[in-house]
Amino acid sequence: MLSRIADSLFWISRYMERAEDTARILDVNYHMLLEQSQSTIRLRWEPIVHMTGEQEEFFKLYQTANTQTVFEFLAFDDRNPNSILQCIFHARENARTIRDRISREMWQDINSLYHNVSHFRAEEELAVGPHRFCDTIRFGCHRFHGVSDDTLPHDEGWHFLQLGRALERADMTARIVDVEYHNLVDRVAPGEKADTHQWMAVLKSVAAYEIYRRQYHSRIDPERVAEMLILHPQHPRSIRFNVQTVQQALRAISGTGVGAYANEAERLTGKLMTSLAYDRIEDVFARGLHSFLTEMQKTLRQIGHYVARTYFYYATVA
Amino acid sequence: MRVAILAASMPQQQAVMARRSFFAGYDTGKYYDEMFSSASVARPHYEDVFAALDRYTLAEFEERRRLADLSFLLQGITFTVYSDGRGTERLFPFDLIPRIIPRREWDVLEAGLSQRVMALNLFLQDVYGPQRILRDRTIPRSLVFSCQHFQRQMSGVQVPKGIYTHISGIDLVRDSKTGDFVVLEDNVRTPSGISYVLENRLVMTRTFPKVFETLEILPIDHYPLELIQILRSIAARPAGDPTVVLLSPGIHNSAYFEHSFLAQQMGIELVEGRDLVVDNNICYMKTIRGLTRVDVIYRRIDDDFLDPLVFREDSVLGVPGLMNAYRAGNVALANAVGNGVADDKAIYAYVPDFIRYYLGQDPILRNVETYLCSRPDHLSYVLDHLPELVVKAVGESGGYGMLMGPMSTSDKIEEFRRKLKADPRNYIAQPVIGLSRVPSFDVRTNAVAGRHVDLRPYCLFNGEKVVIVPGGLTRVALEPGSMVVNSSQGGGSKDTWVLRGEQ
Repeated sequence: MLSRIADSLFWISRYMERAEDTARILDVNYHMLLEQSQSTIRLRWEPIVHMTGEQEEFFKLYQTANTQTVFEFLAFDDRNPNSILQCIFHARENARTIRDRISREMWQDINSLYHNVSHFRAEEELAVGPHRFCDTIRFGCHRFHGVSDDTLPHDEGWHFLQLGRALERADMTARIVDVEYHNLVDRVAPGEKADTHQWMAVLKSVAAYEIYRRQYHSRIDPERVAEMLILHPQHPRSIRFNVQTVQQALRAISGTGVGAYANEAERLTGKLMTSLAYDRIEDVFARGLHSFLTEMQKTLRQIGHYVARTYFYYATVA
Repeated sequence: MRVAILAASMPQQQAVMARRSFFAGYDTGKYYDEMFSSASVARPHYEDVFAALDRYTLAEFEERRRLADLSFLLQGITFTVYSDGRGTERLFPFDLIPRIIPRREWDVLEAGLSQRVMALNLFLQDVYGPQRILRDRTIPRSLVFSCQHFQRQMSGVQVPKGIYTHISGIDLVRDSKTGDFVVLEDNVRTPSGISYVLENRLVMTRTFPKVFETLEILPIDHYPLELIQILRSIAARPAGDPTVVLLSPGIHNSAYFEHSFLAQQMGIELVEGRDLVVDNNICYMKTIRGLTRVDVIYRRIDDDFLDPLVFREDSVLGVPGLMNAYRAGNVALANAVGNGVADDKAIYAYVPDFIRYYLGQDPILRNVETYLCSRPDHLSYVLDHLPELVVKAVGESGGYGMLMGPMSTSDKIEEFRRKLKADPRNYIAQPVIGLSRVPSFDVRTNAVAGRHVDLRPYCLFNGEKVVIVPGGLTRVALEPGSMVVNSSQGGGSKDTWVLRGEQ
């Protein structure tokens, strides 16, 4: 497989995942805020901008973070390189450059999603609320993965798709937990209790609310939320689950067995996986949640870097 | 009873009226009409299609047209215009009324095209080899050497199996005056458009399945198979399973859809210059497992951009060292480098002579009468008759660098007069050919009207014989009265049918 094609496959699914995650966060928080007082709104939207890592660009363009500005910026703004529309655009451009190597169905699906969302206009969607738009994105992304799984041979190309998606998702969940914990726990004065509704929103934004209820049967406890989003072995959006997917994809690509590694990306993934598999949430808190998650995001970035070094950068001829 | 039936059939009556209006008022005009021999009489080979189309109301037809357009859009069979930063996509307009070529006429075209492609290939072998034709003065030496696409680097190079013109697109038009097909120009560098031929057919079979059930239309979908066989046959390493790739300038090229379509259809890798590397005169592609040797490149980029070490050094599309690997015989290219000398519009005038010279045969297909501005007598005639003539720059294609005398302004004519005097070798002139017309649907007026068409059959040459998929690309000038069919100038296309059996 051409390096360029592997590179594109990896980024198609990364961009699709980024679009989906951003849409989830927007949608859930918007609906939660409908039942909140005006004063919480700014406090709520600001951290969400931080979550996407685009706060600098955002405050260059807008004065304050409110429903209007954040929705416009995260969903539509071309000046935000990671806006949902830009993500869909980039995913589709990547697909277009390798359309001969993906299935006709995949291409038509991502192409029609692109044409479909290109027709959405920020003003119109703000008027009706972001749900319609976010739903289109969410289901568009789900469908994309479904179509890929069903029409693409599960060969190395498919593994690069899995790799891109899992790496992006692990990173996104790490950001969500980090920002939310800081926002909802650290900033709350002693004695005051964290807002249940906001924690419910966090869980819903990663499709984990129902699983949480079934698993813990208790009121929503921030530590349990963190445990679930970081260490849950089966939840498809937990960090552990996704790091495991990264590991499986890397091994499938290189053909390396358990307990060994063929490149730096595999070594780092294995190390991370060991910690996620054997650490308890108490151990994480003992080390400090924030520094644990910061370290995690750094490692995920390094894994991405070494994947590119190993497979995408072109071999130079001696 | 009778009354009741009449009353009940009133809405049907209206439907009949609307139905009649499909070709009603259609004017065949003063041009040769491919479908009608007179205002209301369809030519024999069009009778079934006429009957089928006449059953549609304009509204039904419009609905089918819309669905066909949507299908092109969703499949991404589009041109991209990158002026707005995000890329606006335009459809290559497709007209649903087919162009039909009678079988007996196609047989003649096929023989004529084969003959022409063979002669062009022999000319290229000769001009980059012994240059017999120049010594025999069948064509002026100066005309060949002054051609901007003549590549000196190709002199003495042995191309695999002696094939230069693996793929040719020969543009034909039917002259309304005589009713015969004539050759308008040859394209033996990187002719494009075959993907539209194949996709148009697919959309037509979905849009009018019933018509395909009743008519026996010669299939065309074997084109990718024929092409890949030729490409595999020119591999430098004879044994084993050769690696064939399609080299594209990339996603920003207007023909990108075609590149990826053909790569997919042939099951070969679509590569860009940055995917390839030449080391020690061997060409490789860069894969996730390291370097893989490439044997054959179906290149869809121009000579000038192929290799920055030999041609344009600012080219980022090409592969440094590729020409050396090619000359060393380690990698094969299709089409060959330097073919532009054969489809130069001034050289074109000599192609009938090539056929006589190399094959000892009379040309089956005529050329359009051509004035070479490099010849003083022709130049003075052209300068005296500019408003009646078509003037073309010899090295251009796609309808660029062209003057349509009768439809031009006096300013434009004067501009060309200056250009012709300054650089006569760069221009030729031809009388305006009244291109034949085919009924076409005008989306602005919602009516069917005659529009001018040309025809580009795609000819594959395997070193022994020429294979042509029946029909080719019919391009149609959708603007009323326009004779310029190029997609860059507002042209569209039609599905082109050759019917099985005697017609």
